Amino acid sequence: MQTVIMFICLAVMLIASVAAAMLWSRITAAMCLALTSVSLAVILFILHAPWAALFELSVCAGLVTVIFASTISMTREYRQPDGTPSEYHVRFAPLPFILILVGVVLVAVVLISGFDVNITATESTTAVDTFKEVFWNTRQADILGQIIIILAGAFAVAILFKESTKE
Amino acid sequence: MSILNIAILITAALLILTGLYMLINTHNMIKIIIAIEIVVKAVTLILAFAGYVTGQYAVVEAFIITMIVIEVVVAVVAAGIAVNVYKNKGNMDVSELKKLKG
Repeated sequence: MQTVIMFICLAVMLIASVAAAMLWSRITAAMCLALTSVSLAVILFILHAPWAALFELSVCAGLVTVIFASTISMTREYRQPDGTPSEYHVRFAPLPFILILVGVVLVAVVLISGFDVNITATESTTAVDTFKEVFWNTRQADILGQIIIILAGAFAVAILFKESTKE
Repeated sequence: MSILNIAILITAALLILTGLYMLINTHNMIKIIIAIEIVVKAVTLILAFAGYVTGQYAVVEAFIITMIVIEVVVAVVAAGIAVNVYKNKGNMDVSELKKLKG
């Protein structure tokens, strides 16, 4: 059952990302990106990463989509950088064919070379470290880095909007 | 499960290709941020799969969460820059950034 769900999620993820690339409308592309994030969250959950799945679902599918929607609502472009919708579609028309071609080549390479992924995880390795122990005890530098990055991001956005209101 | 493992890796490769194609072919700053997000999602998928293969679930989860935080900050700052470019130039054409002075 999990294998079927994984295949469905992989397919949805790929189709949604291709749709995000090919669709001219920016808000629809942002929604397709959110769908990609939801599919990735399900995959992460199946691959034994529930906390990462939770972050992906709440932050990437939720917060980032809201950021895109608010940015798009603040900007109404009278001259589209990508030209008319038909010009845009012509430029992106080869993408599905390129993806199918590359996919077929990759499958052929895998079949010819006999490439396989050996899962080395055992019961002992999965049971030893919990996420809480690793995150708070051994990855403290990461936590410090995340705090600094968040503060730097907040500071950068504050500066950007301060300058724009001054003008 | 072996076919599924290969499918995950091939999907990740195709996602990276999609993001790169989009990066090359668009001038809209919002679309460029979306392309970067697609590439980052492919990398997240590969990381999660690596954790699944090696059994290092907790370490990989910590890495993924760090990556998500960086991804969001990058998206927020890029969106702020895009709004500022729009206010200055009236559109979100990335080629307009070449003309910025001061």
